[in-house]
Amino acid sequence: MKAAASAALRAFADKKSEIVKYLLAFAAVMLIGAGLISFQGEDPVRALSAIWSGALGGRIEIGNTIRWIIPCVMTGMAAVVAFKSGVNNLGIEGQIYFGGFAAAMAGFLVQLPPVVHVLFCLLVGGLCGLLYALIPAVLKLFFRIDEMITTLMLNYIAILLTEYFTVLVIGASSSTASNALQTPPVYETAKLPVLIKGTYANAGIFVAVAVVVVVAFIYRYTIKGYELRQVGENLRFSKVGGVNVVRTFLSIFLISGFVAGLCGGVEVLGSHGRFVSRFSNNLGWDGIMISMIAKNSPFGVLFVSILWGVLKAGALHMERVTNTNRLTVVLIQALFVLFVTIDYKKIYAFFRGRFGRRAVQKGGAV
Amino acid sequence: MKSEQPVVLELRGICKNFGALAANKNIDLKVRRGTVHAIIGENGAGKSTLMNIISDIYQADAGDILLNGEKVVFKGPMDACAHGIGMVYQEFMLFPDLTVLDNIMMGFEKRRGGIFIDRKKTRAAIEEICRTYHFNIPLDEKVKGLAVAVLQQVEIVKVLYKGADIIILDEPTSVLTPQGIEGLFDAIRFLVGTGKTVLFITHKLKEVMEISDYITVLKNGEVTGNVRPDEVDEAALASLMVGREVILTAQKVEKQVAAPVLEVKGLHVRDNDGNERVKGVDLAVRAGEIVGVAGVAGSGQKELVEALFGLREAQEGRVLFEGADITSKSCRERRCLGVGYVPQDRLGEGANVEGSIWQNAIMGYHIAHGFKRKLLLDRREIDAFSGQVVKQFAVKTPTLETRVRTLSGGNIQKLIVGREFLQKNKLLIVEDPTRGIDIGAIEFIWKKIIELASEGVGILLVSHELNEVMELSDRIVVMYDGKLFDGGNAGELTEQEIGLLMAGGGTADESGRKRGA
Repeated sequence: MKAAASAALRAFADKKSEIVKYLLAFAAVMLIGAGLISFQGEDPVRALSAIWSGALGGRIEIGNTIRWIIPCVMTGMAAVVAFKSGVNNLGIEGQIYFGGFAAAMAGFLVQLPPVVHVLFCLLVGGLCGLLYALIPAVLKLFFRIDEMITTLMLNYIAILLTEYFTVLVIGASSSTASNALQTPPVYETAKLPVLIKGTYANAGIFVAVAVVVVVAFIYRYTIKGYELRQVGENLRFSKVGGVNVVRTFLSIFLISGFVAGLCGGVEVLGSHGRFVSRFSNNLGWDGIMISMIAKNSPFGVLFVSILWGVLKAGALHMERVTNTNRLTVVLIQALFVLFVTIDYKKIYAFFRGRFGRRAVQKGGAV
Repeated sequence: MKSEQPVVLELRGICKNFGALAANKNIDLKVRRGTVHAIIGENGAGKSTLMNIISDIYQADAGDILLNGEKVVFKGPMDACAHGIGMVYQEFMLFPDLTVLDNIMMGFEKRRGGIFIDRKKTRAAIEEICRTYHFNIPLDEKVKGLAVAVLQQVEIVKVLYKGADIIILDEPTSVLTPQGIEGLFDAIRFLVGTGKTVLFITHKLKEVMEISDYITVLKNGEVTGNVRPDEVDEAALASLMVGREVILTAQKVEKQVAAPVLEVKGLHVRDNDGNERVKGVDLAVRAGEIVGVAGVAGSGQKELVEALFGLREAQEGRVLFEGADITSKSCRERRCLGVGYVPQDRLGEGANVEGSIWQNAIMGYHIAHGFKRKLLLDRREIDAFSGQVVKQFAVKTPTLETRVRTLSGGNIQKLIVGREFLQKNKLLIVEDPTRGIDIGAIEFIWKKIIELASEGVGILLVSHELNEVMELSDRIVVMYDGKLFDGGNAGELTEQEIGLLMAGGGTADESGRKRGA
């Protein structure tokens, strides 16, 4: 009777443990966040309500939240595509810069009819992100250099190189004039239409949602998606099964780079209207965090990105109206990732083994 | 005789559940000092769980462990070890780049002043153990490069050094040649002669009859028999294990041999470290023929098979499939031509345990034999093929969406074998198809292999289980040190003669009997 009850309990726990884990992580993060805010001499409730009103308090606020949700979804998807198939693409940030710069170039150097122009710019952005991802992919496939290192390093190269290109485009003389290096604005035909007047909420949200839907569709319904997933879950198995692992690896890298580049394009054409050096400000890393919390699920990314957008937009408002540093929110976001990715079962088993308390009879069911 | 020996270890009413599965149900066991006590049972019968409870890897849900008549509660595996329980696992747990001595003392170094390792004292202690128990192992050599039989002795010395009084050997003979097994048995006999107790876990009935003093049979987590080897025969033991009669002799059918499907000419293959592991192999497999490759693990079988399936580059030589050169073709191309492969590493290469049944069932099939729709997954076709695999190969699973991780080893193997066997291949490379699975599944897979050959498929069977090679093969070759030696047609050579070939034609002594007189 006791055994049956404990078995039922465990089965229940297994199913619900994931949800419980998220809830506990969220609660822990909230507690720590409250502590941090109190430490800065502010009332946590007031800070939290400032985030809430700053993100969802009105039409303008919601518009700006949407503006931040867009890049979060797209970088999150770039990360999901890579991580789901076991490719450690940490170069999303760099691919965003190249995509963004190329989209800006196409936006003010080329003249095309309205709808065609913006699509063309996005495509160019995506392709440039893809090309930039080709470098670490080739280095990995032909020289066996770990992509973790190459993609990480290429981020810095991308940031500085696009900055340098910007200087070239606008001429060296003007570089001293302003502290923000930026290209001339793109043509109106290349801009993504604004959805909510007076905000930066733009049609990029449709691109972002389309990316989610397409990726989810590929993984669920196509043979290619089946292979991509098997390669990610067990590379040797796929290879023995006859999957062309090299080609799959390459295509994962390129798709991830394409999505990142597309994100750069959307940022430039939707929010900035021109290429601004260092505009991304760690969007790529946001994407990696989001995909980790979403456990590489496309629709999970959509959900987490909404939370992320709220926090991003709300943090600015919070800093304005309270004495709390905006970076507190970044800290909280990082802690959330940490709490969600911890393997609690292992830790539990470790401590149980350490102190050997037999009173609680729970085995590590494997 | 030995029944007067005092009980050293007793289990009372041990229960252990994993979720809804009862791995051990109310198990009672009495082990007497100075005896070899065999625990036998099919895979999934609960042998390993029980041993893990004794060595405190798991904790029992109910029941007591009594050591020398006293109830004990261990505080963890280390504590069990301190109480004199030592376990030698099937997979050796040794660091290849360290010396034998370092491996043995790891974690149990004698110390000087509390912090410094006293190598001299440690060494003296280990040498003393080797002397006492007649082990002759090279303490200063690195572990990599030593024969498996020697490694096993290292493992045994390791547990003795840690003060083991009861030694648990988990499937110890699966990696040894017949001669190596004799060596191990001599060592076991010597150990029990000095008062140590050996718990011997195996599924090989012949060995049980030879070595053990007591036999406990487990089935579905319960004890189904406590017998002594002189009271029963192998058939009786088998039926205790399985619950029905099992026929573990392959029923061969007469057939005509046709043209070769696979020909290998002068093949040389290197391993990842650049060492030549296949040194000029010639081989032919004809349609409808089962060619068995016997050999001690690590004789180059792995590299040979990988080269044959396109997973590893051949340095020299040619591989022909139906007369056409496929030496430089990829796995994918070979699969498309009609070559199937059942890899030895079931969980690493044979299956994706994170995936579902259908995801595992269509791997390879989706490329080589294909679905009508090339882009989208056709669930109807997938379900049809996966369902066929599950049904024809008796894979026990609730649904096709079930994750493979939740299946038992035997069921996973049936899934893999089914996937490869149902693909209308012309050649199948089968590597250790029955490793670590229960007798029922072994019987089933053997039957399927023979059926397939009778339908005209050429089969290359690479197995470390000599018995399996001898039962199934039409023709036997023996691999030793990267070369193949003719083992004759089925039944031409005895097990002992093939055992000699496996150990290098009887010239080199690789049997692991490196012990003193």
